[in-house]
Amino acid sequence: MKRIFHHPPEEATGRRYWRGLEELADTPQFREWLEREFPEGAAELQTDPVSRRNFLRLMGGSLALAGVGLTGCHRPETYIVPYTKSVEWLIPGKAVLYTTSMPRRFGGMPLIATTFEGRPTKLEGNPLVPGYNGGTDVFAQAAILNLYDPDRARAFRENGNETTDQKCDAYLKKVRTESQSTGGEGLALLLDPQWSPTRDRVLNLIKQQFPKAQVYYDDPLGSENINSTVDALFGADVRLRPDFTEADIILSLDADFLGLEGTLEELKAFSDRRRVRGAVDKVNRLYSVENRYTITGGMADHRLRYPASAIPSFAAVLAQKIAEFTGDHTLAGIVGPLKPAPVTNDAWLTECAKDLVAHKGKAIVVVGNRYPTSIQALIHAINDALGAFGSTIRVLTAPRIHGGSIQDLANDVKGGSIKRLFILASNQGFTAPDDLQWMEQVQKKVPEVIRLGYYEDETAPGTLWQIPEAHFLEAWGDQRAPNGTYLPIQPMILPLFGGWSQLDVLVKLAGAPAGLDAVRETFKQFAGTGDFEEAWTALLRRGYTPDSAYAASQARLGRDKVTTLVQAVGELPGPVSANAMEMVFPGDYKVEDGRYTNNGWLQEMPDPITKLTWDNGVQMSTTTAKALGLGEADLIEVTIGDRKLTAAVLLSPGHADYSLSLSLGYGRERIGAVGQGTGFNAYRLRTTTASYVATGVKVRLLQADGYKLNRTQLHHSMEGRAIIREGTLEDFQRNPAFPKKMWTDAELEPNISLYSHPPLNAPNQWGMVIDLNTCIGCSACLVACQAENNIPIVGKDQVERGREMHWMRIDRYFSSADGDVSNPRLDEDPEMVVQPMACQHCENAPCETVCPVNATVHSEEGLNVMVYNRCIGTRYCSNNCPFKVRRFNFFNYNDRSITDKIEHGLPGFEGKQTLILGPLTPWGMDEISKLQKNPNVTVRSRGVMEKCTYCVQRIETAKISQKIKAGVTGDLTLPTDTVRSACQEVCPVEAIVFGDINDPASQVSRLRTAPQNYHLLEYLNVQTRTSYLARLRNPNPRMPGSAKIGKINTEHGGYQYQKFLEYEHERAGARVNERVPMPSVERANDRTGGNG
Amino acid sequence: MANFFPRWTNYLPLKIIFCLLVIGGAASAAYWWYLTPEYMRQGYQPIQPVPFPHDIHVSQLGMDCRYCHSYVQVSSTSNVPTTQTCMNCHQQIQKDNPKLWAVKQSWETGQPMHWVRIHQIPDFAYFNHAVHVNRGISCISCHGDVNHMGVVYQHEPLSMGWCLNCHRHPETALRPVNQVFNLDWKPDSGETQQQIGTQLQKNWNINPPQNCAGCHR
Repeated sequence: MKRIFHHPPEEATGRRYWRGLEELADTPQFREWLEREFPEGAAELQTDPVSRRNFLRLMGGSLALAGVGLTGCHRPETYIVPYTKSVEWLIPGKAVLYTTSMPRRFGGMPLIATTFEGRPTKLEGNPLVPGYNGGTDVFAQAAILNLYDPDRARAFRENGNETTDQKCDAYLKKVRTESQSTGGEGLALLLDPQWSPTRDRVLNLIKQQFPKAQVYYDDPLGSENINSTVDALFGADVRLRPDFTEADIILSLDADFLGLEGTLEELKAFSDRRRVRGAVDKVNRLYSVENRYTITGGMADHRLRYPASAIPSFAAVLAQKIAEFTGDHTLAGIVGPLKPAPVTNDAWLTECAKDLVAHKGKAIVVVGNRYPTSIQALIHAINDALGAFGSTIRVLTAPRIHGGSIQDLANDVKGGSIKRLFILASNQGFTAPDDLQWMEQVQKKVPEVIRLGYYEDETAPGTLWQIPEAHFLEAWGDQRAPNGTYLPIQPMILPLFGGWSQLDVLVKLAGAPAGLDAVRETFKQFAGTGDFEEAWTALLRRGYTPDSAYAASQARLGRDKVTTLVQAVGELPGPVSANAMEMVFPGDYKVEDGRYTNNGWLQEMPDPITKLTWDNGVQMSTTTAKALGLGEADLIEVTIGDRKLTAAVLLSPGHADYSLSLSLGYGRERIGAVGQGTGFNAYRLRTTTASYVATGVKVRLLQADGYKLNRTQLHHSMEGRAIIREGTLEDFQRNPAFPKKMWTDAELEPNISLYSHPPLNAPNQWGMVIDLNTCIGCSACLVACQAENNIPIVGKDQVERGREMHWMRIDRYFSSADGDVSNPRLDEDPEMVVQPMACQHCENAPCETVCPVNATVHSEEGLNVMVYNRCIGTRYCSNNCPFKVRRFNFFNYNDRSITDKIEHGLPGFEGKQTLILGPLTPWGMDEISKLQKNPNVTVRSRGVMEKCTYCVQRIETAKISQKIKAGVTGDLTLPTDTVRSACQEVCPVEAIVFGDINDPASQVSRLRTAPQNYHLLEYLNVQTRTSYLARLRNPNPRMPGSAKIGKINTEHGGYQYQKFLEYEHERAGARVNERVPMPSVERANDRTGGNG
Repeated sequence: MANFFPRWTNYLPLKIIFCLLVIGGAASAAYWWYLTPEYMRQGYQPIQPVPFPHDIHVSQLGMDCRYCHSYVQVSSTSNVPTTQTCMNCHQQIQKDNPKLWAVKQSWETGQPMHWVRIHQIPDFAYFNHAVHVNRGISCISCHGDVNHMGVVYQHEPLSMGWCLNCHRHPETALRPVNQVFNLDWKPDSGETQQQIGTQLQKNWNINPPQNCAGCHR
């Protein structure tokens, strides 16, 4: 009898996971989409009636003609081109690693750059720096692609005409001489907030020489509210950093501290308190109040969806409760005069406040960066009442140079006091608040604008000088990490297009030494008393200076000042409704504030929450959409005051009702080929007063289904199987191994494989464990994998057809209490879980048995190996893969243009059809993109299947190094945990662990024996090498609705199995009460009996 | 009964046979050629910008391979010397020899030399020099007796089957590590390569990869 698995039907009721609203509604279209091997259209050639067969017919002729020339008979002559002079440290073929760092909003991010023959190819975190684990984030990973962006500004331009850098240099000398006589009158510098000691030193030099010169800061996702509040309450030069290592209870009021508003230090500290290795007493609890799902909200144990405009009221009520529970009269006095709007979920707030107060000294409340100073001050007062300062919030002495805001600059320009404006950061022509009318009313009014820009973008027109900016990997610099540790920025390569860094321009103005000399000068204050050269070498070698962190500050909250600041809040906005909606402008997880819009890796990375690629959209809840008569991908017109914007609707589960979110950074007008025509420009709706939340929003439907939004979330589905497993800490304490006994795994019987496999007898056996408990879904692993493994981007059009090439995907599931298949009822308050999914390296790999050409085989080390040069592209393997982790090169994405298309009227078809020219376009990738490729990984061609290799190039490199080291001793044992996969290396929360499962000391072996470790689809006997640690939530039992949290598959596990049995019985026609065993050995062997 | 078949069809069987013969012959010829050393470019000896004589430098002057190919023991690629390496000696010796014109030109202008690549394996095959030379595989196993070549040519087919032959039977090529760069080394009398190789394979724990991932990444 043939062994057929009849999967149990999904339960009709009870909680279930769903990836998008379409899945929950379970429409026939969605069914059809899922049941295809690749999503609709992926396996078809191009659009419309032109099928692949027709195309082949057409192409056959031209290929036959092409063959006549017999051009391929001789191998072309290639050359070996050695250096003329030998280069110090450089060994051809070997990577050289340098320490460096990346300037970021909250301080430098310590990095290690991998370079091959002088070209940087990959960035990793620097694990030597205290407080860092070697992780990075998506933006650091993608920064390397920005370096090789062909659309970068390449020329110095004076009044738009190309000229030379010498001329610009001469101009700056002139500015300097003139300013010396005027004391810098009319000179203004517009910078981004950075924590660079050298830049501060040079700025001070400029201020000393030109006392009348003005400094302004602009950051579209600004942190100025934090700084100005701290300045007012603690005094100047104080910096506050949350310290989650001490925090037992965290309440986030729309603060995405695990996403865009946090740093790696905070991610590490938070995840260290989240990780369960046996004991559970250290696990923290996170409450989150936010209007849209953020990465932080996805990690929350309790999440309340709440309009952003009502969060000030929420904070005020919270302050009242905390004042009441702590008996803190000062706080009561501060919050007393406020008249907050009533909070809709009072029980939630009360229990949360009680929990915070119960953990006084171990609790912290964090609020979003861009809430007004009054709210920031109120939160400081709450934290003070909770005893957070000094325990969960570090108070640090961090001197910085104060400057005006972009509004101040606009006012000064209008006042006519500014004659020369140096725009040295950001892209104000795109990002400035719309009411400033930056280009018309500000930039044009300044006689001389000197602009340092990475692109010739929206700000470039009308500037006197447009200077190409150097990438941070092209120029010397320095940074202080968020905790103050001194980090160098070492250049890896000369500026590719001769650009200047911000520092280069500033030192020219200051008349100070540039580059390396400037940084060495600054370093003198950090070098200590010993030998300077020694300290300098140590700095470059280690990538940081020990004991250079900010000193703790004795400054404490000025409570009297809090009252004044808090009173300034004015009237607190009332509740939102269908007639009075709000709109929130968060930063984007892909393009941040718009600076990464031309970065293909980030554009194609599915948003961690919405899984949208290449676009942004107006997020709203289904309730809101129904009330407004809207649906997914409808084009709408959003009106705020007299500002209008056309944008597409993006339905978002877990979004607050009558609240809309549109992320910033999309809809660029002047940008390179990648970012052109993507998304909608939320900046056009944003004003100075409503820079984060705007109220009084009106929406009008323009065109139903008027836009194409490409979400990858529906491309792969869980189909009712227990792929993600989660429970609560209580479940874990009761039975630590609960995840092993879920679903059909509850009564799994021994199974055998009918296929013979090569023996797994090598000394190293590779495996991976992914901890779902710390994984936040940030997608850094996805981008790191792309950088490491030369994975191409395919473009919006191809993603729409499900042809994205990412070897790793981050599955994001929503789970809801009452999913009813027959009568879908949407839970507007779903929980969110994420799961990184890549090739599981099954020991009984289903893909291997179906390959007709042995292109995917098993190595004796347990790797499921893909042999590109054998693959003929049948795609059977992908069809047979239960995890759908294989990717197929439908086009030669690396070497051929997929944007070149023709409209052609084909014989036999009506009208014109769009054909991607593909093989008919010029061959080869542009020279600058080649520089990024990892030389140790094959660049794949068209018609080839590919997938996660467990970073086999890193494994082989490690083995080879060990063999070389062993020499004649023959000791080939790899030291424990030498091999780290790219995704493991990048993970800021250490959720991914890779290693040798044969080595009992390795991290991965120890995790595999953890009780909550489980393997996917165990009943199929695929014997996966990747396993997962179940997600454990830590709900507060007194919280309303807490009984439902984290119970998604624990309580129903057995029930589901019973269902499965009943189903099997029906199929087998057996009596219902007799237990039928799982499909197993006996039944499999029946085949030989001739029954099947 | 009418003539269903026109006259020309009389020759049709002959024509078909002729066509089949031509096609079959062409296919056989193509396959034959594919099996020849010519296909693998065995014996490929392009004209180099400088006719560098390995025999003079190594066999007459006694230079070590590693004077020029200096990173062969540490890197995956065995580097070709920089112009600077050539000029170390040729600033003094043979400095007016016209054959060295290209080297001098490179040194003066700073433009690198363009040596024609002889030994080429496909981009998806990753060969590592360091691991071979550190574990008892001599240059001669893949490159032939370069020390006696006037102008270098490709001595071995460098095909995958050829690689695997050695990976399956490493004892045929293993030699003491201190003799790796001595291309004239022969087993002492009374010993055979087989005996020495087998012994070394056992002592050094030599187990060359035979799975795809060993070379293809």
